Amino acid sequence: MSRRRNRRGKQAAWNALGLAVFVVMVFPVFWMISTAFKSDAQIVSITPTWFPLHPTLAHFSAAIHKPFFWQDVENSLIIVSVTVAISIVLAFLAAVALARYRFSGRTLFVVLVIGIQMLPQAGLIIPLYVVLARYHQTNVLSGVVITYMTFVLPFCVWTLRGFLLGIPKELEEAAMVDGSTRLGVFIKILLPLMGPGLVATSVFAFITSWNEYIFARVLLNDQSKQTITVWLSYFLGTSRHTDWGALMAASTLTAIPVVIFFLLVQRRIAFGLTAGAVRG
Amino acid sequence: MPSDSSTTAAAGTLLGTSRRRRRLWSSLARASTPYALIVPVVAVIGVILGYPLVWLVKLSTEQYGLFELIKHHGPSIGLANYRSVLHDQIFWHTLLRTVVFTAANVFFTIVLGMLIALLLTRVSTWVRVLLTSGLVLVWSMPVVVAVEVWNWMTNYQNGVLNYVLTELHLGNYFQHDWYGSTTSQLSMVTLLIVWGALPFVVITLYAGLAQVPHDLVEAAEVDGAAPWRVFRDITLPIIRPILLILTSLSIIWDFGVFTQPYLLIGQAKMTPGNFLMSIYLFEEGYFKSDYGRGAAISLLMLLLVAVLSVIYVRKMVRIGVAE
Amino acid sequence: MKRRSILALCLVAALAAAVAATTSGATKQASASSITVWLQVDAQTGWPDLVAAANQQFQSDHPGVTVNIQYQNWGDHLQKFDATLAGGGGPDVIEMGNTETTKYMAAGAFADLTSSKGQFANSANWLSGLAKSGVYQGKVYAVPYYAGSRVVTYRTDLFKSAGIKKLPATTAQFVADAQKLLKKNPQKGFSPFYVAGEDWYSAMGFVFDYGGGVAQRVSGKWKSLLSTPQSLAGLTAYKNFFLATSRAGKTATEGAPDPNPYDVYAQNKAASMIGPSWFSCCVGKKYTSDTAQFVMPGHVAGQTMPGFLGGSDLAVPITSSNKSLAIDWIKDFTSTSIEQGLEKKGNIPNATNLLGNSVNERAAKRSWFVPTAKHWVDVENGNILRNMLGQILTGKLTVKQAAESAGANIESVLNQP
Repeated sequence: MSRRRNRRGKQAAWNALGLAVFVVMVFPVFWMISTAFKSDAQIVSITPTWFPLHPTLAHFSAAIHKPFFWQDVENSLIIVSVTVAISIVLAFLAAVALARYRFSGRTLFVVLVIGIQMLPQAGLIIPLYVVLARYHQTNVLSGVVITYMTFVLPFCVWTLRGFLLGIPKELEEAAMVDGSTRLGVFIKILLPLMGPGLVATSVFAFITSWNEYIFARVLLNDQSKQTITVWLSYFLGTSRHTDWGALMAASTLTAIPVVIFFLLVQRRIAFGLTAGAVRG
Repeated sequence: MPSDSSTTAAAGTLLGTSRRRRRLWSSLARASTPYALIVPVVAVIGVILGYPLVWLVKLSTEQYGLFELIKHHGPSIGLANYRSVLHDQIFWHTLLRTVVFTAANVFFTIVLGMLIALLLTRVSTWVRVLLTSGLVLVWSMPVVVAVEVWNWMTNYQNGVLNYVLTELHLGNYFQHDWYGSTTSQLSMVTLLIVWGALPFVVITLYAGLAQVPHDLVEAAEVDGAAPWRVFRDITLPIIRPILLILTSLSIIWDFGVFTQPYLLIGQAKMTPGNFLMSIYLFEEGYFKSDYGRGAAISLLMLLLVAVLSVIYVRKMVRIGVAE
Repeated sequence: MKRRSILALCLVAALAAAVAATTSGATKQASASSITVWLQVDAQTGWPDLVAAANQQFQSDHPGVTVNIQYQNWGDHLQKFDATLAGGGGPDVIEMGNTETTKYMAAGAFADLTSSKGQFANSANWLSGLAKSGVYQGKVYAVPYYAGSRVVTYRTDLFKSAGIKKLPATTAQFVADAQKLLKKNPQKGFSPFYVAGEDWYSAMGFVFDYGGGVAQRVSGKWKSLLSTPQSLAGLTAYKNFFLATSRAGKTATEGAPDPNPYDVYAQNKAASMIGPSWFSCCVGKKYTSDTAQFVMPGHVAGQTMPGFLGGSDLAVPITSSNKSLAIDWIKDFTSTSIEQGLEKKGNIPNATNLLGNSVNERAAKRSWFVPTAKHWVDVENGNILRNMLGQILTGKLTVKQAAESAGANIESVLNQP
């Protein structure tokens, strides 16, 4: 009886700590969302308004009615979905090669993958633009997709390789003894176990692409083709007064697809500890 | 009969050849599999970054300002750009400052990330879902917006931080300027960056912890092992590859971080006294439209980051090689 | 498993098709059937009707040619421009800030418009401050678009309750009025006059008011004017004025990430502030009816404080293949009727014969501008003047020392090859 109470007490303590971390981490997001509902006077006032008691939807309306909102959301969704889908597939294949095979040129490939991530992006803007312009890939979504893939792939390959290395080889060997081909093993055994790794990697790829700004800005000219982050920047790009309420409302709206994506993907893995498959 | 044996022998070699050929084909297929698997990635990266990288190297040896940019041609000046950068006092001071800054950021990110990931394994499901969703919300905030919100929260005129600290009687923080000194500025930036980096680290580490066999941990705890030993002997070896990846990635990212310090401190407060490497690159190379020098600084940064992260990277590569 | 993966593949294929569909809209080289114009986002939010009117005029003169307006942000429009200078696909007309033009003119980024100057409306009467920023080595490369000066926005009710019957006509009188305001409003952090310490746009006005300057070209080299007795007098005057009237941060700047003056004003923490005339938009609902503006006085009665003339010009990049069409568009966009429309929206039009009598325009009668040097942008980006002001106000350096050090710095930057 006392042991159960002890355990429940411990559980409560952990939960309290978890909630405290939640409050601290989420506070700036909460501030952004609550500001989106505040009146202009409350936004500027010195004594902070914690919970707007008379929330206003005026800022959300201003944000949605700003030109090109829906088009740019659509553009962002297209670019990011294609980038993530293709990148995960290609990265998984390459990660398998790195984690399970020994081949000459492997070190070179590793160096390439890591090295790309060390390049300061600012230096690449102009040369990248020149290359894409030559192939008529400026002011089109495909140019942005392929640019994002270049930045997302190295990270995905590297991270997926890490997850693959955590899965013991004995599983595959057992399956191969049972008669499956090597490729069959990858699909039937490794892929399901990679659930957590694939989720983390695809969420990263999604968010990196969704929030990317400078390359989208430089590569896309027509406002009808731009991404939602570029659309957001117009709130801040003027030399005049910035409409904070509308900016916060717009930012809240742009964060929604990411959260939806994560909620969709995370159900595929059991967040409870089900590492039973890894049992020897 | 000699003719019979020679026919048998001939037949034997024929069979042997086809078996050898089959073995040759299958071993070729096996050997070429890894190459086939990496070709798509290499192709994408090569097509897009190949020319820019070559251009960057070429640029770094040229005198290339706005005038030359328009003319699409600049005179070659050998290593003069590199020499000018390496002789610049500001470069070295900035480098030192950036190394310290990176170390602090990576340390807090990894340590706090690990602690929160472990916390996630201990809390009830509803708290876990809440905390994870909160982390994703944080992660999904565009950096520019996060900076604006932080700016508000910490500005001296009406920042919520000053208000809360004063109300909690932790001291008089009325109109305290958190951006008055370089240390204070960079501390604020560190807070912002670590806050923004935690979601990814926590979620990835948690995904890695999911691969740790739960019954092993329970068995060890029942046997009376201290939590620290359980962590060190069971958990750590399994998540080591992921930890190494996250550390090396954090080093790479935090060394080259640009948006957060640039926007949070503000361009108007940028002086050589509080530059970070990426800001130095931006101001020296692009603000001044000296693209040749900018290219030289970019390549130097690449080299520096490689040096800083080599220990972790080698460990990571070796883990794979040992398999 | 199989069905799900087929579904996933179909989804990817569909999305890839969507991407490919937009590829058909790829930019071709600007043909004679359309021109591209880069305007700042201020026009999109401030006077979209004027842009539409100009486009209509242009299209009636050139049937079959469409105008593609692409709005830009101040923060990164130059980065984008540089990329197009290197790789093509740039605009036919570009709006440039008047402090940004010299660097690009010196690099040969713009087409020579000297021969077309007479065709632009009111070009004989262009505001000298703006016109100067479009001329390099005697040739015209940019057409003045509009300008803005700086005025004082103030709380009529607070001034009244402090017993201020007349608006100050000299800075000395303003200081006296500030003391009255302080007595009536003793709360912590209240500024009778809010000016950020490192607001060089406002501070340098004092320098020019006393007859000083920043730098001038002497026999082919740039020489700093900051250490002349007049400039030193102006800087000292600014220091004294700031310490007597403003509770803003001594090292604060006038914009993000430091507080916006109009936000401080809206929080009832300032009785007056100096800035562009559009500041009156954002003083908060409570104080809008008690807000008015006047021109900042100088130190001599009857003379206003020189205000910084900020503004924009329009130029034709050298990479454009539609130069004559671009010039025609600029002609339509800077026509007398459009400029009068800009004036009605609170801006300063580009010619003296179009000036009205608003506070903004009265303030522009006495103005100052930065040296038109190729490397001036580097001085601004290096925050040399800002740091100088911070050092003076915090007392880290004397006025003379700070001016000397900043002057030497400016000379070395401006005299680069």
